Amino acid sequence: MSATNDYSEVQLSIENVGKVFTSEPGLLRSLSRRRTSAGYVALEDVNLRIEENTFVSIIGPSGCGKSTLLNLMAGLDEPSSGQILMDGLRIRGPGPDRGVVFQNYVLMPWLTALENVIYAIETAQPSISKGNAKEQAREYLSMVDLEKAMDRYPREMSGGMKQRVAIARALSIKPKILLMDEPFGALDALTRGYLQEEVLHLWENHRVTVVLVTHSIDEALLLSDQIVLMSSGPNARISDLIDLPRIRPRKRNMIETNPDFLAVKQRLEDHLFRETRAIEEK
Amino acid sequence: MTKSSLSKPMGLLVSIVSVLIALVVWQILAKQGLLGKNFPGSLETLKELQWWLSDPFFNNGPNDLGIGTNLLISLRRVMIGYSLSIVVAVPLGLLIGVSRLASSSANPFIQLLKPVSPLAWLPIGLFVFRDSELTGIFVIFISSVWPTLISTSFGVQTINPDYLRVSRSLGASQLRTITKVVLPAVMPNILAGMRISMGIAWLVIVAAEMLLGSGIGYFIWNEWNNLSLPNIFVAIIVIGLTGILLDQFIGALQKRFDYQL
Repeated sequence: MSATNDYSEVQLSIENVGKVFTSEPGLLRSLSRRRTSAGYVALEDVNLRIEENTFVSIIGPSGCGKSTLLNLMAGLDEPSSGQILMDGLRIRGPGPDRGVVFQNYVLMPWLTALENVIYAIETAQPSISKGNAKEQAREYLSMVDLEKAMDRYPREMSGGMKQRVAIARALSIKPKILLMDEPFGALDALTRGYLQEEVLHLWENHRVTVVLVTHSIDEALLLSDQIVLMSSGPNARISDLIDLPRIRPRKRNMIETNPDFLAVKQRLEDHLFRETRAIEEK
Repeated sequence: MTKSSLSKPMGLLVSIVSVLIALVVWQILAKQGLLGKNFPGSLETLKELQWWLSDPFFNNGPNDLGIGTNLLISLRRVMIGYSLSIVVAVPLGLLIGVSRLASSSANPFIQLLKPVSPLAWLPIGLFVFRDSELTGIFVIFISSVWPTLISTSFGVQTINPDYLRVSRSLGASQLRTITKVVLPAVMPNILAGMRISMGIAWLVIVAAEMLLGSGIGYFIWNEWNNLSLPNIFVAIIVIGLTGILLDQFIGALQKRFDYQL
């Protein structure tokens, strides 16, 4: 473990978290109390400390529960055991201190780009005036270079543009942590590369804590300060924690030439290959 | 949709020609006596239509009203009954869609009452309200409430759960999520239901009014008692055209709120 022991910097703390999915719906389960269905153990005994203003990537083979872990941090789901603390307080549900970017963008199709961001701002700050909300929404859309597409509906935008709106929306509630669940997974390779650069620049200029779930090694290397490796599920756990050289601004060619990065890349590849083979041979 | 190669203006022309042919065939059949003795031909009917439309709003007592006057009476009843049904169906449909308790409680009534003929409600309405006007509105309401109710709750049940997740992740309250996310998301379902409800409301008014003493439905009943078949055809044409307009109106609303297009 290479995580720091300086507790004052820890912003999000995941403590002994486990997550079991039961297949029965809630009502049925409460009616038939006798049945103790074993369920599917997605996560087991996960511990992680995330420091303020760091960029952390969670990487692992598909189905390893990394999205489940992110949902727990977002408060969209509850851990079956253990707890997650945000600034020392237990997370009991979603909140505007955490912004979430989903893989499939999920913009409201009946709202324009601007209106989608305004909805988020007005939700997080119910007392804000209409004019102020609009003003702020414009600012955040400009941050992701969308000032010309503000009045477009999602159906009139490309996947990359939609994801940029989703990022602007997540940032517009001024979260302390930005949680991104494979945000570039649904995009074509060129758009993905472009958006990675955008996020890199955005983050280097406006630091917030970011937790990124990905299965792309290059993406994790390009963006992160720290990479969390997860083992394959069920009973997935964190199997390794890698600190990357904190060289900023980072350039894409760095991860292909710098020996430190190359060594980490090799390690990640070995790990993912091993874990994937374990799944395929099961 | 590939609907053959007919262009739009060409299609309109074909429609017009088709109507003209039907009028000619009708006229020939009627004049040949093939539809029964004294069955009115299309020419006679159109002449009557022209007469009724030349002064649509006269009022010579309850049994001699202009067709426009009768139409307005019917439209007023339909609008009141229909609006009531929407006001009830949309919130109730949302509730049924959101809550399993509500859907389980309401479902037996929906399933049981939905297929009941509108005419069966007439005696009940008359008994309860002792008033023909209220009864007419009640029958419209009870017949047209179901499609919107069912379509709305179906829309809520099939809403993309990701929208709700996003709204929750932003920390939105239940109420805010329902008014700002669920409602616009199911708007296409609501309007699809409203369109069917409107069709039913207009369909039912004629049957209901035959027993009520005014309106376009009563007009038909009255002209039957006068044995004036041409006037009945006039009423049928007017009812049909009005139905098209009502349907087109909701169709326009549907286009406005369909975010999929």
